Amino acid sequence: MLINLLASHAAPQLHAAIEGGLGAITLYHYLFVAMVMFALGVIGFLARRNLIIMFLSTELMFQGAGLALIAFSRYHFNHTGEVFVIFVLTVAAAEAALALALVVLLFRQRESLDAQEWSSLQG
Amino acid sequence: MLWTWGSGPPHAWRGRSGRLLAARAGLILWPLGVWKPSFGSGAATPCQSAERRLNAIVNPLLLYVGLAVGAVGVLMALPRRKVNPQIIGAVIAAAALGGVILHLGLRAADAGQMPNINFYLFAGIAILAGLRVVTHQRPVYSALFFILTVLSSAAMYVMLGAEFLAFALIIIYAGAILITYLFVIMLATQAPSEEEVEALSPYDAEARDPVMATAMGFLLLAGLTGMLAQGVGSLDPAGSAGEQQAIVAHLPGKVMRDLNARGVFDGLEKPAEEKLHEHWDVSAGTVTLRVTDRAALEQSMANERVAELVSDGGGEEVVVHLPSNLKASNIDGVGWALIAGHPMSLELAGVVLLMAMLGAVVLARKQVELGEAAKARAVQFLHAEEED
Repeated sequence: MLINLLASHAAPQLHAAIEGGLGAITLYHYLFVAMVMFALGVIGFLARRNLIIMFLSTELMFQGAGLALIAFSRYHFNHTGEVFVIFVLTVAAAEAALALALVVLLFRQRESLDAQEWSSLQG
Repeated sequence: MLWTWGSGPPHAWRGRSGRLLAARAGLILWPLGVWKPSFGSGAATPCQSAERRLNAIVNPLLLYVGLAVGAVGVLMALPRRKVNPQIIGAVIAAAALGGVILHLGLRAADAGQMPNINFYLFAGIAILAGLRVVTHQRPVYSALFFILTVLSSAAMYVMLGAEFLAFALIIIYAGAILITYLFVIMLATQAPSEEEVEALSPYDAEARDPVMATAMGFLLLAGLTGMLAQGVGSLDPAGSAGEQQAIVAHLPGKVMRDLNARGVFDGLEKPAEEKLHEHWDVSAGTVTLRVTDRAALEQSMANERVAELVSDGGGEEVVVHLPSNLKASNIDGVGWALIAGHPMSLELAGVVLLMAMLGAVVLARKQVELGEAAKARAVQFLHAEEED
């Protein structure tokens, strides 16, 4: 409704353009969203100190990779990308189970989720 | 107001009305989009070929300026101890990244092929929620925002025609993995004492090296987006018919059920599922069946829907044309690709999940130290159980 209201005030040729949507969505649009999600995940993994948030950021990176795989799958008209996403989901689930078990274990030792508490592990 | 940032052929928005609108919306990024009016060779004429140059849909200058502004916004949004302009940072980052995305839409040459508003809506939600995942100071909220990201990703999967994966994503990610995260967050957080309910853990309140992390992340993003300058393709709306046929050819059960539901088999010999391919010409899309009961066949041919599929020459056999809407669905395609293409990987995925489950149980199991008295009590208790 808002769109129609605004469109009726706009110039005629713009009205037509708005009714047609915002242009065709290309592979590039999906890849851009996927890349932004991946980069945000990288930033979160590097910048946050909470172990759980760090693992949550890796899940965000998985999401970005999955979206890119689905977009490529759609682009090439085959299902291989979707099959890969199934495996990504599997690995994400396995990783979440193991990582969170480790987090619980570490939390019991130091009563803290700070990644810097464990800098002695750097060897 | 952003919706008025309409699309279409660039000449529609480069003119006077476009500038008027830009002034009304008050968007700083606008002049950058028209700074090089002749940029992009096919901008004015709709580009029909599958291969497009990046320049046709995005202005590199605006892309990199948008990324830089986004980096500043993310940097401001990351938690820090002293002054905390988180909201301002989040708004700046969202506006910059959203501006780049909208600019992509503005530069897209041909309008009105797909339901595009939905894409921008869900892409915006996904990026905004992803931003809050990495910047929110409270882990529970981060996890909840991540669920929002997963839901909008699932919406984008649906737009890409991957329905099965969309629902699998919601069930597995939002339903299982994130719930595990929430449980662990609640288990592994110190309970605040009565007087300091709002206290944050020091490691949640402050980011570690936010400048370096943001710089690295956005350099990576700039590199990735620059890589795509080689040229990208549009998403053609229709699936390839040959591929669909190839998948259907592996699914006799689906064909049999479909024909049965349409009542085609009345008066005809109904072959067993595994024998169907003997009667089936896959390339022509027809099945040849023997007539067993001509009266029943003629009765069913009175039905229009049957008559348009069956061509009866009056002989011993009739040719059944497979209905045009009998297509391999997304689930058929994924299932076939998974089982026929990657059976070993599927088995391995099961093994990985089983080992992860065992490993998680072994790792998180709590060692209970019992004193001598407690051990004696436990032994007595067990003996008492046995005697009962």
